[in-house]
Amino acid sequence: MRLGKRAWIAILVGGGLGSTLLGLAFLVLVVPRVVAHYSWSVERLFRQAPQQPIAFTHATHAGDAQIPCLFCHRGADTEAAATIPSLEQCMFCHRFIVGTTEAKQAEIRKVIDAFNNQEPVQWVRVFRLPDHVRFVHEAHIRAGFTCSDCHGAVETMTTMRQVQRSLKMGDCVGCHRQNNAPTDCAICHY
Amino acid sequence: MPTAHPLHTHPDTPPRGGAQPQKAAGATPSAGRGTFPQQTRPRHKWGMVVDLDRCTGCQACVVACQAENNIPLNTESIYLQRRVIEWIRIERYWEPNHEQVRARYIPLMCQQCDNAPCEPVCPVYATYHNDQGLNVQVYNRCVGTRYCANNCPYHARFFNFWQPVWPETLDNQLNPDVTVRWRGIMEKCTFCIQRLRRAQREALREGRTLQDGEVVPACAQACPTDALVFGDLLDPNSRVSQLAKNKRAYKVIEDLGTGPNVIYLKKVDPYAPTADHSH
Repeated sequence: MRLGKRAWIAILVGGGLGSTLLGLAFLVLVVPRVVAHYSWSVERLFRQAPQQPIAFTHATHAGDAQIPCLFCHRGADTEAAATIPSLEQCMFCHRFIVGTTEAKQAEIRKVIDAFNNQEPVQWVRVFRLPDHVRFVHEAHIRAGFTCSDCHGAVETMTTMRQVQRSLKMGDCVGCHRQNNAPTDCAICHY
Repeated sequence: MPTAHPLHTHPDTPPRGGAQPQKAAGATPSAGRGTFPQQTRPRHKWGMVVDLDRCTGCQACVVACQAENNIPLNTESIYLQRRVIEWIRIERYWEPNHEQVRARYIPLMCQQCDNAPCEPVCPVYATYHNDQGLNVQVYNRCVGTRYCANNCPYHARFFNFWQPVWPETLDNQLNPDVTVRWRGIMEKCTFCIQRLRRAQREALREGRTLQDGEVVPACAQACPTDALVFGDLLDPNSRVSQLAKNKRAYKVIEDLGTGPNVIYLKKVDPYAPTADHSH
């Protein structure tokens, strides 16, 4: 089959353009993800703050009001789980504090409504470890670590986000080695 | 000066910041690395004594273990396929040679062998011995070759042939302290390591050492006749060490040299055949 000059140009340029676009897409979409898999400093760029059912801001509570972490996350120094406070605990204060602006009032209204209707808030989990890891907050607080060592500067965050640590096994083991903590597998995996 | 047990940190771990000449073991000061002083874990050798004279074969230990350790439900079809998962099971032996037919029971769980045959055959080091005398199964390392189960003379290791499912009514029954094992990996009795770790943490928090009898695995807790006793075999005053001195003590298939840490006390049987009582 004979092809004309214009047809040849179309094939070459088109094919070239296509592969160029493919290559660019690979560079933009795939390569950073692969790099992020190995490098937390890259991965954290992709970590978005999840949308929560109520726009709770740590910046207001832990930052402006300076409520200690342990006032709400009561399990952190006694139990494995730091625990998310119950709505009753929110109501300690929000029975009296209803918000200064209209937007804040709407959000606090959600808390009060959920409390009155006895519906638990479906918070979206931000810090998650695999199911085969048994992390114990209590042991780490007892060893003298602060919450921000792993959770970052929470008191500046409007929406909770994972920024400080990758929380992958290399991260955990590296810290355990640096601090002469046991690295027996059965410390975390059982 | 307290020095770390060699198993405390991995011996192959090079120090951070490139290759450095290896320091002599034991000569490293406790504050040599890191900001915190070297923690030494107290050494233990956890073991169990099973008094067969007390065992009535009631299976309470089996049920308790099932509930504590998130063991999948063993349905009839699974039994028929011989793929049940029972970290502790009651083996029943009939003795038909008497005038009355009698049954003998022996609860069998992972014997936490000192020379565990399951350990050297694992190609991925998913099972190993730690400094607490426990034979540990690392679920996230396991790739499911099942060599360990084939090499275990006690049939104490179980393979997850299916993704475990529970009826919705049992959703809140699962123990949050224990991993739910997934399809394709081995599992076995852990001596309720989650209870062990919890008790150790509480002891550390209160700045004391673990007391004998403080850690009770689910099977021992459920046993109505107190036939199962758990404790530290390194502590000469512990209840298990005292019971292990009993004349009736023996270990299952001891001649294989596996060095089990579960010690059985022989049944006192008035009906046992004597030399002159022959059939």
